[in-house]
Amino acid sequence: MSMAQVCCDSAVAATAAPVVGAEAEARARARAERRSRAGESGAWKHAVAAGTADATRKRSLGAGELLVARKHGAASVAGRRREMEDAVSVRDAFCAEGTADGGRRDFYGVFDGHGCSHVAEACRDRMHELVAEELAATAADSSVSAAAAWTVAMERSFARMDAEVTSAGGRAAAARSSTCRCDAHRCDHVGSTAVVAVVEEHSVIVANCGDSRAVLCRGDGAPPLPLSSDHKPDRPDELERIESAGGRVIFWEGARVLGVLAMSRAVGDGYLKPYVSSVPEVTVTDRSDGDECLILGSDGLWDVVSNEAACEVARACLRRGRAKWCAEAAALLTKLALARRSSDNVSVVVIDLRRRNH
Amino acid sequence: MPYAATRTSPQQHSRVASNGRAVAACAGHAGVPDEVARHHEHAVAAGQCCSVMVQSIAAPADAVWSLVRRFDQPQGYKRFIRSCHLVDGDGVEVGSVRELLVVSGLPAENSRERLEIRDDERRVISFRILGGDHRLANYRSVTTVHEAASEGGPLTMVVESYVVDVPPGNTVEETRIFVDTIVRCNLQSLEDTVIRQQAMAAPAAPHNDHNHS
Repeated sequence: MSMAQVCCDSAVAATAAPVVGAEAEARARARAERRSRAGESGAWKHAVAAGTADATRKRSLGAGELLVARKHGAASVAGRRREMEDAVSVRDAFCAEGTADGGRRDFYGVFDGHGCSHVAEACRDRMHELVAEELAATAADSSVSAAAAWTVAMERSFARMDAEVTSAGGRAAAARSSTCRCDAHRCDHVGSTAVVAVVEEHSVIVANCGDSRAVLCRGDGAPPLPLSSDHKPDRPDELERIESAGGRVIFWEGARVLGVLAMSRAVGDGYLKPYVSSVPEVTVTDRSDGDECLILGSDGLWDVVSNEAACEVARACLRRGRAKWCAEAAALLTKLALARRSSDNVSVVVIDLRRRNH
Repeated sequence: MPYAATRTSPQQHSRVASNGRAVAACAGHAGVPDEVARHHEHAVAAGQCCSVMVQSIAAPADAVWSLVRRFDQPQGYKRFIRSCHLVDGDGVEVGSVRELLVVSGLPAENSRERLEIRDDERRVISFRILGGDHRLANYRSVTTVHEAASEGGPLTMVVESYVVDVPPGNTVEETRIFVDTIVRCNLQSLEDTVIRQQAMAAPAAPHNDHNHS
């Protein structure tokens, strides 16, 4: 079962019509050529805390049009656990299919692996490509609403990602990783959370599978808005789904599927299918002028830092007025999680959503 | 850590000679071969539970046993083990002790285990959990490897049984579900590993095959 939520804070609805016209097509092609990788977690593996943000990059396109990369910061630390199994993905302008008004889309993802690192790493390397492909396929079908189109695209992307990490081919691709210890063709015991956000001019789309989380910091002292809901096995609807499928949720150092895994949805974990599902829950949220930032984090952060506290940290960094405030916020949040004795890897991405940034 | 296998279909069970004796504590043991049935007869105390699982593998028994017998290197096929090192003995003699580190995501960090039986002639291995960071107290496991009758190529049956305390707050059923899930995954992984090793060894076979004419 999936959930698509549209939070309409303004009269203007987001549209996802396909790009049309020669001029728009040229812009889409140019954006695709500039697709780049940024914010890789690799740069921060085992660092106590590190963050970076691309300086604002202005790119001229055509007749004086200006494209500005959104500010963001990412930080990952192994923390108290010996091995780093988180991965972070930041892909500016990842999708050749722009929005109807020619705006662009940026992709952000946090993937918290368990059992080994290679499923999270495969998600980091491939998820944005799969989403881009599925968006192109969905854009051709104009009969569905924007929210439904996003749900279809995300569910297909996650299903394909799950199939890739489950097959021998996917395993071979992951073998290049130096942190992967597996030597078998099939690693049914490895999986990862995946919280993915696509930021457009007018909307933020989140797809979540597992217990990482996305939180929107709205301005004017408004409370933080969760854009995802953690997939814990004892969440009532998850418990019902698991038991209907013939599984059990057993309290074994916390609620666990079959007593083994502490989350009810994940990419991978073939041995726990169908109880541990890779179907994401998708939300589509309209952006508003007062929005400050979007925070993606693994449960190493959220287990010890509330949504409210995280937004306060980000807001404090924002108010200091520094250009790299997103990177500072991400680094500070990881330090805060470590100080509060988080027992897990911690990964954080902070994305600047302020309008005047564009 | 505990280790388990996929339950065979009734047809597969029918190919195993029953020992004909009732084992009151473990009804599931009826399918265990006579010659090693006594190894799978666990004394089950109050507050404990036991289980037995069987995995059939289309490979020679010696190939399967060569993986199962490695007390010092269980991560060769047990995926939930991140690393293993011996802290006492050589891994071959009874009484050897190993310490395991467990992969992330499971409700366990490490385990200390003692080799109780290792019989290369009968293909029996057994270990007992002495301690560690997990909730499986007084866990004892026995794994046996047997050649099975097969019309086609080689077929091996692996039988794994265990007995363990039911942790405080959990039921017998819950404990079995948890341990059986881990053991089943391990036995499936054993099959995958053996089949893959056999496949990699296969190209050499034609050069040694003088039986075709």
